[in-house]
Amino acid sequence: MSSTAAAPVEDLDDDQREAVQHLLYRLGDDEFVAAERYTEWQVRAPTLESDLALSNIAQDELGHARLWYDLLQDFGYDEPDLLFERDPETFRHSTMTELPFEEGDWSDAIVRTYLYDVAEDLRLEALEDSSYGPIRDRVGKIQSEEDYHLEHAESWLDRLASDDDGQRRLQEAVDRLFPYALTLFEPTDPDVEARIVDNEYRTEPLDELGEEWLSNVVPKLESYGLDVPISEDGTITSADLPPEIGRDGNHMDDWESLYDDFTQTYRDLGRTEATTLMEDPS
Amino acid sequence: MNIDEVKERAGPREFNPGDDLPEEYRKAATRMIQFHANSEIMGAYLERPFIRQSPSIDRKLAFSAKVQDEIGHGQFLYRAAESLGIKTREEMLDELANGKGKFLNCFHYPMENWAEIPMIAFFVDGAAMRRQATLKRTSWEPYAHAMDKICFEEGFHVKHGESIMRELATGSKKEQEMLQDAFDEWWPRIIQFFGPSDDKSTHHDFAAEVGLKTMTNDELRNAFLNQYLPKARKYNLEIPDEPRIRENDDGTFEIEEDDLDWDEFFTIAKNDYEPGVGQIEGRANAQEAVEWVRDAIEGDDQPTAGHTPTAAD
Repeated sequence: MSSTAAAPVEDLDDDQREAVQHLLYRLGDDEFVAAERYTEWQVRAPTLESDLALSNIAQDELGHARLWYDLLQDFGYDEPDLLFERDPETFRHSTMTELPFEEGDWSDAIVRTYLYDVAEDLRLEALEDSSYGPIRDRVGKIQSEEDYHLEHAESWLDRLASDDDGQRRLQEAVDRLFPYALTLFEPTDPDVEARIVDNEYRTEPLDELGEEWLSNVVPKLESYGLDVPISEDGTITSADLPPEIGRDGNHMDDWESLYDDFTQTYRDLGRTEATTLMEDPS
Repeated sequence: MNIDEVKERAGPREFNPGDDLPEEYRKAATRMIQFHANSEIMGAYLERPFIRQSPSIDRKLAFSAKVQDEIGHGQFLYRAAESLGIKTREEMLDELANGKGKFLNCFHYPMENWAEIPMIAFFVDGAAMRRQATLKRTSWEPYAHAMDKICFEEGFHVKHGESIMRELATGSKKEQEMLQDAFDEWWPRIIQFFGPSDDKSTHHDFAAEVGLKTMTNDELRNAFLNQYLPKARKYNLEIPDEPRIRENDDGTFEIEEDDLDWDEFFTIAKNDYEPGVGQIEGRANAQEAVEWVRDAIEGDDQPTAGHTPTAAD
């Protein structure tokens, strides 16, 4: 699979190529790893209806991962390079996406999808006018699926927050997830990140996206009577971040076991390529 | 309506929730549809780990979608069963969790590697297709209606299963060997999918008389073998020596029933077979872990959060 439009990869110098690739890796890896975790809820969600709804979201995110990885193929990588034979320490997803779910902790799934989807909406907006055409061209398709995700998360926040036990569990999920959610706005590398913005591959810097995100999620969570673990003046410092931020390739042990799991069949069968069923995912 | 009238009127899609049906009919139909719905859920339970273990993104997407479809089929079938007025969906799901609910023999066995996938996703699903196609003419209209949708989606599942099998059958020597090993292990179970020969089946007579079942176990098995033996051969699978299968001139088959382990089959039918017990309990534990959510939303007038993409509507 490769993008159909003439890819302007050739027009990029080495620094620019690196910047576009970092941007695509953080997008693709977030979606892929988030989806891996969401699929853990399949056949385990509280009701058949919620099972269908979350698995639908997982499939959307997986489809988005495929769209972003497809653009990385324009740089000469194939799917094994991007996933099944890739060094797990080069994945650039936020550590929030790799956190395992405790069995039955539906409040984690709801808070996590909420925090993630608000961030995703903002970053997609900041890609609408990307100077890199192939990225710009794929934003609309993804956005058209995202509205429902946020609607799903908010409807569940509503329902759980109106129950004492649900409220308590939501608070625990917020306490646990919030520091990891902040890694969504961390750079893969400060120099490369500066190039992403200078070249307008993404038109907003991460700290502005992060501020917008905070001004969105904090009042919303507070409106449900939830405390958000950040300082009064709302400034975020490195002290608020978890030890592993993911973006720089530094991950938790849970990532290693997840990576081993999803590459297991590929390794066991001694595969050297990954089957493609759909020629052009865009 | 008394039972004689039911037998007289019995035909495809003849009865619906507007009919006043005797309890005997409603119970028999509930048992059959509940079994079918449970099988969808337990099949999905068995296959779920392979969403993660799929060796490509496209396979992963197809697998996740398949598991989702099966939950949707379960949802649709429980609704068709509920409409008989004997049990609620919650009661049926509780029975599945506490080991009272019955389901297909093949879903009691563990599945450990990718080469086993076609055994379920091609052969068992293919066998289920044979059976389900005949249920489009079952007498309980909501059940027949569910079959229209389910058969449509199952067609895609079997195609995907065949694609995985083709890939293994034409892959490395190791892959071909793994596929043959899986086939040797699963083949007798797949033959038993249709249950014992008609003379040993306990529920068939009544279900046939009231139009719930339209074909016998043997007829279904014949139809399956006619279609799937050539397919197995096409993918270079060696058919195991046992159970012995005699092919008659008229295209029918006879199975040497003594070659099959019916003790195991009936242990499974009672939900007493060890790996199956673990799978039932595994699912029950997962359901119990989210009991608090169902409690939290109880009385909520919003049974489905947001827009639920129902695979089964």
